[in-house]
Amino acid sequence: MTTDQVATTSPSPPRGPGGFRDEPIRTTIRGLGQLFITLGVVLLLFVVYEVYVTDIFGAQKQAQAKESMAQRWATSTPATSDPPAVPTTEEDSGAVVAPPSDAQVVDPAERTRTYDTQIGQGFANLNIPVFGADYGFTVVEGTTAEDLYGNPGHYDDTQYPGELGNFAVAGHRVSKGAPFNALGTLNSCDAIVIETQQEWFVYRVLPMPEEAAGWNAAARPGCADVAPLTGAYSGVVGREIVDPSDYAQVLPIPHVDASGPEAVAAASQRLITLTTCHPQFSDRERMIIHGVLTRTYAKADGFVPAELSEVG
Amino acid sequence: MYTWIWRHLPGATWARAAQSFALFLVVVALLFFVVFPWAEPYLPFDQVQVG
Repeated sequence: MTTDQVATTSPSPPRGPGGFRDEPIRTTIRGLGQLFITLGVVLLLFVVYEVYVTDIFGAQKQAQAKESMAQRWATSTPATSDPPAVPTTEEDSGAVVAPPSDAQVVDPAERTRTYDTQIGQGFANLNIPVFGADYGFTVVEGTTAEDLYGNPGHYDDTQYPGELGNFAVAGHRVSKGAPFNALGTLNSCDAIVIETQQEWFVYRVLPMPEEAAGWNAAARPGCADVAPLTGAYSGVVGREIVDPSDYAQVLPIPHVDASGPEAVAAASQRLITLTTCHPQFSDRERMIIHGVLTRTYAKADGFVPAELSEVG
Repeated sequence: MYTWIWRHLPGATWARAAQSFALFLVVVALLFFVVFPWAEPYLPFDQVQVG
């Protein structure tokens, strides 16, 4: 692209002292060619930016959210005064022994939320064991572009983990850390484990549309607690592909267009809903994953739910 | 355009090459930190929410 190159490769007429000023057509064509090459390079750079650079930025933001939540959890004592359902007596003897799993099981109805959230701040960890033991994201409050950069974000007008209604979370499928990159590979009964300051909530993906009719609760381990939903919930399945405008998906009873306290009061299920873009690399539609709460554990030192090791 | 830049950079060939590379890096940084973040919301693959 240097002057030398052009001069040696083309049988050009003698040039005046003004260089290319004597050859306006050639100059114009060269300029156009350079413009197109430049645009091509810019487009390639944009791909690099989307695929690699935003992931780096996203990972930084997620690390910050995780770090700041860990600090808040370590320093703040929850506002609740009632002791955990099963006090850990082992603490007195010095050595921390993990209590048996059954001893930590609690009724979600007896748990009340002990934390407040702030837009952009993390308040829970989301683990999907089938995505690997290292898959874990801190969920922040809010679903603006800023909140979702690197983090799954909680729809701030939906319910919280373990509550009656719908705990709804959005996340990127491509770029910006892509927390929900692999939602398309989730199967029914796969565990989605939410960790809050006080509890572990184990949700499981509902039966897929094609499985609902002849549902076999023994098909896979973990399916025992999962069944197709009926009544007001009929039609709520493990995975749906919907229009971007389908806000009812994150309402207390999905598909029932009612919000507010009355809708929450009418809810009889404790659901989780994950939303991301679909198809991958586009946002023409949305992929929706619905899950149902199957188990709740009180946290205790050394205790980790067995569901976390259900690596696929 | 590139010829024009090349002709107006001072110094020997290697110095010009180094300056060209520095200019390229500046442009890439501008794209990555200013232009692309600005353009992103207008492109059709960034929305993951419903409603």
